[in-house]
Amino acid sequence: MYGDGAIYVQVFQIKEKMIDMNLNDADIGVTYTVKEIVTDDDELGSFLFRLGCYSGEPVTIISRNRKGNMVLLIKDGRYNVDSNIAEAIHIETEA
Amino acid sequence: MRIAFAGNPNSGKTTMYNALTGENEKIGNWAGVTIGRKEYPIKTEYAGSGEEAIAVDLPGAYSMSPFTPEESITSGFVRDEKPDSIINIVDATNLNRSLFFTTQLLELGIPVIVALNKSDLAEKQKITIDEKLLSEKLGCPVIKTVSTDNEGLIEVVKEAVASKGKEQKAPYVQADIDLHDKSQVDAEDRKRYAFVNEIAKQVEKRAILAKEETREDKIDKVLGNKVAGIIIFAAVMFVVFYVSQSWLGPIIADWLVAWIEVFQGWVATQMESASPLLQAIIADGIVGGVGAVVGFLPLVMVMYFLIALLEDCGYMARVSAIMDPIFKRVGLSGKSIIPIIISTGCGIPGIMASKTIRDERERRATAMLTTFIPCGAKIPVIALFAGAFFSGSAWVSAAMYFGGILLIFLGALLIKFITGYKYRKSFFIMEMPNYKLPSLKRACFSMLERAKAYIIKAATIILVCNCVVQIMQTFNWQGELVAEGMENTSILASIATPIAVLFIPLGFGVWQLAAAAVTGFIAKENVVGTIAVVYSITNFIDTEELALVGGANEVAMTMGLTTVTALSYLVFNLYTPPCFAAIGAMNSELKSAKWLWGAIGLQFCTGYTVSYLVYQIGTIATQGTVGNGFLPGLIAIIIMVLVVASVARHSRRRFDREYALHGGKTGAAV
Repeated sequence: MYGDGAIYVQVFQIKEKMIDMNLNDADIGVTYTVKEIVTDDDELGSFLFRLGCYSGEPVTIISRNRKGNMVLLIKDGRYNVDSNIAEAIHIETEA
Repeated sequence: MRIAFAGNPNSGKTTMYNALTGENEKIGNWAGVTIGRKEYPIKTEYAGSGEEAIAVDLPGAYSMSPFTPEESITSGFVRDEKPDSIINIVDATNLNRSLFFTTQLLELGIPVIVALNKSDLAEKQKITIDEKLLSEKLGCPVIKTVSTDNEGLIEVVKEAVASKGKEQKAPYVQADIDLHDKSQVDAEDRKRYAFVNEIAKQVEKRAILAKEETREDKIDKVLGNKVAGIIIFAAVMFVVFYVSQSWLGPIIADWLVAWIEVFQGWVATQMESASPLLQAIIADGIVGGVGAVVGFLPLVMVMYFLIALLEDCGYMARVSAIMDPIFKRVGLSGKSIIPIIISTGCGIPGIMASKTIRDERERRATAMLTTFIPCGAKIPVIALFAGAFFSGSAWVSAAMYFGGILLIFLGALLIKFITGYKYRKSFFIMEMPNYKLPSLKRACFSMLERAKAYIIKAATIILVCNCVVQIMQTFNWQGELVAEGMENTSILASIATPIAVLFIPLGFGVWQLAAAAVTGFIAKENVVGTIAVVYSITNFIDTEELALVGGANEVAMTMGLTTVTALSYLVFNLYTPPCFAAIGAMNSELKSAKWLWGAIGLQFCTGYTVSYLVYQIGTIATQGTVGNGFLPGLIAIIIMVLVVASVARHSRRRFDREYALHGGKTGAAV
């Protein structure tokens, strides 16, 4: 019984790690749901919120260039963001 | 009564403000154009004949709790100065995001009138909004407007005026929470957004989903491409410079200068009976000097027209996004490109535009470096030397602008080196506005406003400077008239000659040119004006005539410069500290004496060094020997480098001390 419980916990922890995805790993054109904004910069978090980018809301990558800059669709507005911001926006892996 | 114009950035507030007041505040199709508040009475044809209504234009804000300096101006004004009513300009193409701010405004108790702006764009994007239902849900009037076409404006103002004294009921009231508790604020904000989402869902219908790729997106893919994007941008800027300085500009200028010469001739005949001294001062000094400067006005006007078109169409935001990765490498932000482009018109609004950059060091660096790109006042200087020494070749001016950008990059790297901030993570986010066909009307307005400012400047500052210079070169210290050929005993010569010594290593250690360079700090156009006065030349534009009149050009011969020294002089004047007015703007933006003097020092040293290099290397290339003053100049530059190195070391040691984990002081202020 103890053995089964340990294995269950291990699998659960691995699954948690796999689910943590941010926009730098995301595909173009797919609408994701924001999981959370992860950043040390409080004001950035508030700013993204005001644009409509916060947990539970949809976000889509319209296009991306090789440098890592991308155009995001947040609540009907298009924004060009760099990879630092994309990194801060964590998304749910189930569409 | 006072009516505040509040709303998201780039929603059309300033356009509406300009339409209603007749003022011509700066607009541009990107977020962050309006940086301070402006007020002016609304024209009576809109406000009616009752009490005077004053419109207050505010910078854009996404919400009442401020994130950017612009937002705090808006929320501060609305909260503290209690306008009589608020016209909330809402971008109809982004209703959902805009309504967040709207519901906050509605809670203030001040009557709000919602102007559903850009309705024409919304229609084009097949968005339908039921404004009557929206009005019901918000509890305030909602009027469809198109501020670029004056549509709906009369109704909006009428409602605003009629609402004076009324109490505004809020459709959504924020619960009483501890505003310092971030998690509570977050929770409340989410509730508000949920309320807004619900309204938007009921009121707005989109035939095309926002996430579908549009034609604009396809264009953006090309323009934003890493390689193609930059090439396109360089091509666009080259076209702007070429048309304004080598094609259309000079054509119009030719025509204008002909008239100025006629005027000068007329003045001379009017004064035939006056003393030769007065004749010299007025006909040659004033009319000639000012005329020389005004002759270049068409070049500046065409430039302004083209830049205004660029700013209006929405391309600037894309340029900012393209440049961000490059600028990041040198420690600037993609947003820094906008002040730089504005500075090709005038450095003062360019420096002010750096306010929108959030990171303090990036902002200061941008403000300091943006004047390296030649401004409108420097165009006469470039055109003069390109015409007299390089047969009006377009490549000279292109090289000057390219050189300016190069110096901005190098300067940014230098600042990064000195301040030592290597590991700072900075964020870039820029809204991509809809493309629109640039308004020719707006561009014309902008061009004429600039022409007016230019002429006023010429008729005042430059006029006075030319007078003073003319008098100073006509008299010597004993108050006597200086004889022909004895100009170097004049007051001007005696003051300028010691300064000219500094310029010997740069190839132009002549008092006349030193004087011209110094007057350039009052206004860059003065370089041309002073040269015109001091060498008694007035027609600089007609390069064909100049070429026909005498090989190597009369102008060139009179000034005693070779192509190398001319280039060196040009480079010096372009890349040194800007005019005093621009230095003042830098001061108010840098907000620190240390940074201001650092900036001036950097700019002077850059101008000196580049000029030195051009002269010495050019002389070696053309004559095989080094130029005059090679060694003293080299020593001066080595001293500059040592100063920079020591400042850098000092600053980095301080940086290390502050951040040392053991043995260092903690909590030291920067």
